[in-house]
Amino acid sequence: MISDFFFPQPGSGIESHIYQLSTKLIDRGHKVIIITHAYQGRTGIRYLTNGLKVYHVPFLVVHREATFPTVFSFFPIFRNIVIREQIEIVHGHASLSNLCHEAILHARTMGLRTVFTDHSLFGFADAASILANKLLKFSLSDVDHVICVSHTCKENTVLRASLDPLMVSVIPNAVVAEDFRPLGYPANPAENSVKTRGPLPPAHPLGPHETITIVVISRLFYNKGTDLLIAAIPRILAAHPNVRFIIAGSGPKAIDLEQMLERHVLQDRVEMLGPVRHEEVRDVMVKGHIYLHPSLTEAFGTVIVEAASCGLYVVCTRVGGIPEVLPQHMTTFAKPEEDDLVAATGRAIAALRSNRVRTDRFHDQVKMMYSWTDVAERTERVYKGISGALSEEEFYGSHPGGGWSATRGRAGVQGFSLIDRLKRYYGCGIWAGKLFCLCVIVDYLILVFLEIWAPRKSIDLARDWPRKKPIENGIVDDREDARFPASARVVRRRSGRDGWRDGRVVDPG
Amino acid sequence: MPAFHDAAPSAQGDDVSSHQHRNLSVPSPPLAPAPSPPSSQPALLHRTTSSDPNRLAPEDAFFAHSPPRRRQQQQQLVDATQAPKQLVSQGLSNGSSSTSAAAAAALVASRVRAKERGRSGSRRRKGAWKKLLWVKQSYPDNYTDEDTFLDHLQRNPRLQPYEFWPLFADSTVIVQHVCSVIIFACCFTGILQERVSPLTVVTWGSLGTIVGWVLWDRWIYQEEAARVAKEPGLDNEAEEAVSSLSNSASASSSTSLPISGAAPATTATAPPQPLGLGLTIPGASSGILAPSANGSSHHTSSSSSFSPVTTGHPTGAPTFPNYSRFPPPGVTESSAFSPRNQQRLATAKSALLIYCALLGLSPILKSLTKSTTSDSIWAMSCWLMCINIAFFDYGGGVGVKFPASLSTNAAVMASTVLASRLTSTLHVFSLTLFSIEVFGLFPVFRRHLQHRSWRGHVVLTMALIMGASGSMGVTISRGGWKAATLGVILGSILTGLAMGGCSWWLIDLQKYKNEIRGPWDPARPVIRRRWD
Repeated sequence: MISDFFFPQPGSGIESHIYQLSTKLIDRGHKVIIITHAYQGRTGIRYLTNGLKVYHVPFLVVHREATFPTVFSFFPIFRNIVIREQIEIVHGHASLSNLCHEAILHARTMGLRTVFTDHSLFGFADAASILANKLLKFSLSDVDHVICVSHTCKENTVLRASLDPLMVSVIPNAVVAEDFRPLGYPANPAENSVKTRGPLPPAHPLGPHETITIVVISRLFYNKGTDLLIAAIPRILAAHPNVRFIIAGSGPKAIDLEQMLERHVLQDRVEMLGPVRHEEVRDVMVKGHIYLHPSLTEAFGTVIVEAASCGLYVVCTRVGGIPEVLPQHMTTFAKPEEDDLVAATGRAIAALRSNRVRTDRFHDQVKMMYSWTDVAERTERVYKGISGALSEEEFYGSHPGGGWSATRGRAGVQGFSLIDRLKRYYGCGIWAGKLFCLCVIVDYLILVFLEIWAPRKSIDLARDWPRKKPIENGIVDDREDARFPASARVVRRRSGRDGWRDGRVVDPG
Repeated sequence: MPAFHDAAPSAQGDDVSSHQHRNLSVPSPPLAPAPSPPSSQPALLHRTTSSDPNRLAPEDAFFAHSPPRRRQQQQQLVDATQAPKQLVSQGLSNGSSSTSAAAAAALVASRVRAKERGRSGSRRRKGAWKKLLWVKQSYPDNYTDEDTFLDHLQRNPRLQPYEFWPLFADSTVIVQHVCSVIIFACCFTGILQERVSPLTVVTWGSLGTIVGWVLWDRWIYQEEAARVAKEPGLDNEAEEAVSSLSNSASASSSTSLPISGAAPATTATAPPQPLGLGLTIPGASSGILAPSANGSSHHTSSSSSFSPVTTGHPTGAPTFPNYSRFPPPGVTESSAFSPRNQQRLATAKSALLIYCALLGLSPILKSLTKSTTSDSIWAMSCWLMCINIAFFDYGGGVGVKFPASLSTNAAVMASTVLASRLTSTLHVFSLTLFSIEVFGLFPVFRRHLQHRSWRGHVVLTMALIMGASGSMGVTISRGGWKAATLGVILGSILTGLAMGGCSWWLIDLQKYKNEIRGPWDPARPVIRRRWD
């Protein structure tokens, strides 16, 4: 797993996605390491739960924790890590992460399988998007498979990087349902599962004058729809007397929000919590009945799944991938317009007041829909598919016309030969194609140079974390299992105890 | 390197375009038949070559939503069943096979694949694929539903195809500005080479400005009259909404009524400055002040008290209900002038101020760049003029307050450094004043003229073109009238050609426009603005 965005950085769901997926993959018997850049006060190698090893590579950080794009400088240390950990598949995350793109390029040069997960949506109109899309096209020209978090995201990525839609899988995010339990839900449902409990007790009915609390947890940015929120709150509060708001999160729009509260004198009905940590999100959510999500663009919207898991009725805007995420009975959709948002919230309040919505069942339903184990399973299938463990027919579907495809090569997997790769890059654009080819050739030369200067055999291998036998009965430890030669040894590591922990990984010599 | 592009690309490329033609032969967006997007075209072609043609490719996606294609596919399907394999293999083995065959092969193959999928699906997959994430579906994760994939994609949704003549007409605005810059540069050269007296330049300039100001004043008056006549019972809120440039109902027409005609044209002729310079600035400051006056139109009272009788003055001078409700500082409501004349008085005052300041600054400006070589000055002023032209607010309507400050500042700076090359204080003063007229006031006038009368706009444009090309001719050849005539003829022809050529070029380029919109774009929030 490679991404610029990993803990200790707080923020969007990418970090937790990487962490959860890695943990579950380890549980399934793979070896996973994470490579990210060094954060303030966090360098070298860290071990997380379950022997998950994190390399914090020193790198210049330019903007919002994304690293400076130096196309080749990452190569020596990357090669060292990859060889040391015996990595077979490189899985990059997030399209704004430069580290991820570089790693994909180098990994292909070194003859590794690559997967890329896209977490965000991009437009096509503004200059920044055009540049980002070009770079994405560069690194995805030669990727083995792409994973997107929603179908909308898939369409977007296919268009942005001119990909074959069949090499793009849709694997949604998930939530740790245990971390998002509603109030009063047993902490350990295994002992007290739905079956043994029998039918759920009827939900606590909501009285006609009981206060309904609407929760908003989002960073207060323009693209999170804070303007809509600011416009809608006074109207919602004016129309519904027994309603109050809890707003958590910070951002540049917070000041506008506060101004609105002061102008309308709503301080007693709107509670501003400021930034909350991800662990505390659940504690905030369970205070409410409705979750309001006015975002203007969203690839997946993990937070609405979390809210539904906490037993909240969700009101959200119909943008991006959001309509795909939750079933109809958990959500009320609104157009991204002030009037419609107010109306939708009104409908949601009315539905709750009439006790038509069984929010108490949401948790169990969400638990059935999204789990990281499922995500890891599906990701594993992708790994198997690209490494050839699954036949092409099984992975990509059967094609009577014969599977001739330079994109994936004849054997159902993408060829590594330089000329094949150059062919793929050449088509990226009149000028860009040639430039990209140049980059690839230079990258190849660097690899040749590195092989001479720091030969493979002089790099000692890291020992594996002494882990327990995987619980999964279907899959044996992949080292012994010849059938899945590459099953996501996304990064292999041997517990390097001596001198490794303090992060002098960098030195390739 | 034979493997790079064999014969296949061309065939596949034709395939793509033939798709398009078939798809778009039906009613289609005006510019849609353009070849596939320039940015992605090479990549797409490449992809088509390199990827299996029987697989859904992005370029299919572009057209997947157009209904005609489905029908076509159905048709194709009829003959598809006959010999799909041959066609496919033919299209693949010798990629240079006829385009129709290749296209058919692709279509056929995709159908066949769909059928295959359907068949295999019947075994373990039940139910149609849904674009939902929360349902556990029996399709693989990389399944691409060919019916709904990229369904919401829109290409060029808000495209407005350009037309030649409107475009040509709009380009006059740019031509006007470029011409006035050229005239200014030629005047400077003339002054520097001592072929033209700076006094002549500035006198003509100022005369023009006076005329322009008088016209402008009249227009404002007429507009106001028309507006008031049209909407007699305008209330405050409506006014706010409408308030454009100097259209704001009279605040205190009641105060203006008693003294109507008291000071008809006194202020108009008030500043009899030497060289008539004083009046040039009033145009300036009123041009600038008037919009600011509107900004404050919240305080307008109902104009229902307005009596049309007072507006009937032929010169449009007195009791003009237009100007600011805020009298200039020091002038109270009970002053002896109508608001309009108060405004004029204020304009005159600021004009006088600017005039004096300029006069005082001229000696300083003269020695401003003594230590710099002329070469640097030429280069710098050249760049500054380019900035002026590039950042000028060509699209601004009449109501724009301080339009394109970067552009104006660049021009004034350029003229300042140019003026510092001149020899005497008078020269410096004249050139700076002239530049203020040309770059500060003239654009305001041009905007209003364009707004008011199209004919006048055209006449002004032609005059400017002729003036610019004539003075260019004289400046370059250092000749007399002959050179000027030659310049006018040549310049006019060239300008006309350039305008036509550029318009045509822009229209031609528009076919490459490929704006892609879809659900991934950030939504534009619709928020009702309330004023509370």
